[in-house]
Amino acid sequence: MTRLILNRILQAAAVIAVVATSVFVLLQFAPGDPFAASLDGTDVPPGVRAEWRARYGFDLPPAQRFTRWAGALAHGQLGYAPSQHRVVSAVLAEAMPRTLLLIGVALAIGFALGVLLGLLQARHHGRWQDRVIGALTLGGVAMPEFLLGLLAMTWLGARWRLFPVAGLASEGDAAAWPMWERLLDHLWHLALPAGVLAISVAARVARHQRAALLGVLQEDFIRTARSKGLGEWTTLWRHALPNAIGPVLALLGLALPSLVGGAVLIEKIFGWPGMGLTLFDALLARDYPLILAATLLATIIAVVARALTDVVAELVAPRRERPV
Amino acid sequence: MAARTWNRLLHDRPARVAAAVLAGAALAALLAPLISPFDPALQPDPVALRLVAPSWQHPLGTDPYSRDVLSRMLHGARISLGVAAGAMLLSATLGTALGALAAVVGGWADAVVSGLVDILIAVPRLLIIVALVATFGALSPWWLVVLLGGSGWLTTARIVRAELRDHLHREYVLAARALGATDWRITWQHLLPAVAPQVAVAAALALAAVIPLEAALSFVGLGVQPPLASWGNILLDGADYLTSAWWLVVFPVAAITCTVGAALILADRLRAAIGGERAP
Amino acid sequence: MTSLLSVDALRIDAPNDVPGDAASDVRNGTRRTILHDISFDMAAGETVGIVGESGSGKTSLALALMGLLPHGLRATGRVTFEGRDLLTLDDRTRRDLRGRRMAMVFQEPFTALNPRQRVGAQVAEMATAHGQRDGRRARLDAMAMLERVGLAEPEDRAQRYPHQLSGGERQRVLLAMALLLAPVLLIADEPTSALDVTVQAQVLEVLRDCQRERGMALLLVSHDLGVVAGTCHRTIVLHEGRIVENAATREIFTAPRHPQAAALVAAVPRTGPPGTRA
Repeated sequence: MTRLILNRILQAAAVIAVVATSVFVLLQFAPGDPFAASLDGTDVPPGVRAEWRARYGFDLPPAQRFTRWAGALAHGQLGYAPSQHRVVSAVLAEAMPRTLLLIGVALAIGFALGVLLGLLQARHHGRWQDRVIGALTLGGVAMPEFLLGLLAMTWLGARWRLFPVAGLASEGDAAAWPMWERLLDHLWHLALPAGVLAISVAARVARHQRAALLGVLQEDFIRTARSKGLGEWTTLWRHALPNAIGPVLALLGLALPSLVGGAVLIEKIFGWPGMGLTLFDALLARDYPLILAATLLATIIAVVARALTDVVAELVAPRRERPV
Repeated sequence: MAARTWNRLLHDRPARVAAAVLAGAALAALLAPLISPFDPALQPDPVALRLVAPSWQHPLGTDPYSRDVLSRMLHGARISLGVAAGAMLLSATLGTALGALAAVVGGWADAVVSGLVDILIAVPRLLIIVALVATFGALSPWWLVVLLGGSGWLTTARIVRAELRDHLHREYVLAARALGATDWRITWQHLLPAVAPQVAVAAALALAAVIPLEAALSFVGLGVQPPLASWGNILLDGADYLTSAWWLVVFPVAAITCTVGAALILADRLRAAIGGERAP
Repeated sequence: MTSLLSVDALRIDAPNDVPGDAASDVRNGTRRTILHDISFDMAAGETVGIVGESGSGKTSLALALMGLLPHGLRATGRVTFEGRDLLTLDDRTRRDLRGRRMAMVFQEPFTALNPRQRVGAQVAEMATAHGQRDGRRARLDAMAMLERVGLAEPEDRAQRYPHQLSGGERQRVLLAMALLLAPVLLIADEPTSALDVTVQAQVLEVLRDCQRERGMALLLVSHDLGVVAGTCHRTIVLHEGRIVENAATREIFTAPRHPQAAALVAAVPRTGPPGTRA
């Protein structure tokens, strides 16, 4: 167990190191000097500019620049974001929790829903319930999240006005509402983006869960459970599921990087001000330090989430208990 | 061995339907210049003919620039599917080559390839490409193929490596070695054909992964650039009018979903056909 | 004497069988018959052995009686147990009978146990599945039964997972599970095949003791006539899905009528003076 955690930490560290280095290299190729006078000129006072140049060693040879930059990175100093008139770390510190919230909620709901659907399919294997759910999950997997988001936003949001189409919260005097109402308002805004991601997660989880359950249901100990007179649902829930959920968790870990990618797009579509939206706005504004820092951070989130999922999978379903 | 798999697949109805869908899409893409009613870039009347709902004249309607959507969808198929197919072939080839290298040569080659795969697989592919595009500017479809293909070989490499390592211990390889065959010959003549079905599965999955990726990139303006059409940028063009002009959403979404779904079904059925062969 | 169990013209088919090459069989619509026209009776407290080589259908017979045939198989005919036709019973009643009135011990003890659950809990589940609300009581009963079947240090073993026990211990766990609610019929499918010889003898002895103690009917399925010989008064020999012998075990040994029965008798290792051919 500890070996696995160590292994995952090392792996995560390696990935982050590689990506960070790549980001640095890309920064060198980025057209223009991030601190050029002509960039949004009036907002970057010369003193600040000179200071940042010195800080990031833009006058130094590449190797030294890299060490300076890596050092600064380790201290959480990611540079200045001209398009936002703030330091990058401030921008990201604000955006990251929102992305984490979005992904976290989507994962939780999606996973639970997927497991349930998989159970239903296994229970009614071969019958119409299995087929209908199967068709739905296939659709959920075939349709990319951003398209599902687009459809949801267009119809549920704009056309029928069931949900808001943008932002974190309602405009205007919403800030003056009591805490409770503001919370509900936030949830209402979270519903559609998180819901769309959750559907995507659920579809994938359901398909894997169904396969895993059907596999486990062939095992001898299921027959033993039935020989005790246990009903189908009890057998599924108490005997099949605990043995079938491990592989699903592991596979979820593998799907995490693409989930983060999907979340980034969903944020753009729904105007959810997390890392994804920050990234896209930065792209439009050619704000290179922000673009690359956001990419780096999003990658870190994906890597850490994946490592965590692997550890949880091992906790829930340790590999030691397989029959020889 | 492969013949039996092929036979099983031919008799499998979902597989046939899926293959038909993909073939149909490919055909439409190939014949686009011949069957498009209009020139996809033509803007006949940006005032009167913009955002026309589907009609006899324009079966799929027109976009905000009065371009015929059907024509753009057909030419878009060319680009979208072309890029996807190119990327798929590139990643299948790269993945097979690197997986084979890792399995057959072993040792340092295996360490390098496996290490690389383990690291890269944790990074969201979309973000890599976004970062690259942001730095180097918008890409031509050819560069898109390179980027998408170059980032999609990881699972194929893993599958090929695992399969080959399994096969390497089998008797026929030992026999061939005993007869004096070189590693290269063994690989080329025996091992690669043996893993061909698995590579096909991986390729189908790669296709299913890359079509949405290209669409997403084009949708956010980082992929195929106008006036070239792609299913993704048709959506982008109509982004401001989606609530009123449903035809700008439904057709691209349907096209993307159907092709991806078909690729997934094909991968699934292929896997089942191979698996049936494995039954003891 | 009314029989406890009465099997009448039982037939087991595999309508869509998939052995070997799927394609050709599906095209032929072949239907494999595993058991043809099986009929026999069993009285309460009787011990009957079912013997046959692999593929003779003995396990399918056992599973059919319990109603645990795998999906592709179908049983037709009549199986009367305690006056009721098992094959036509509704699900709920059938499930109620399982474990409570008739129980089964399976062949491969490792795979027959849930790898993720402690064995004590798996035994206790037999009680809770049939209405025992008190979890503690169920656990106590399970513990007592584990001790009864000869499991050494039952408190310790009950807390373990299947992979932490030996083969013999696992088989005893399965036995305890089956016997917990004192069923009137116990079906044991090759209960000793996966065990070492010494452990085999021990497990068989436990089976015999429990059977005698409770007046339980025992249906012992095995490919080994030797295993059946020491335990069963009557033996049924199966060959390719049909009954070829149904007589007192002693009779089968001394005067086997069917060549298959004779072969099985010959296969039993006999001890005798040196020079005697087994």
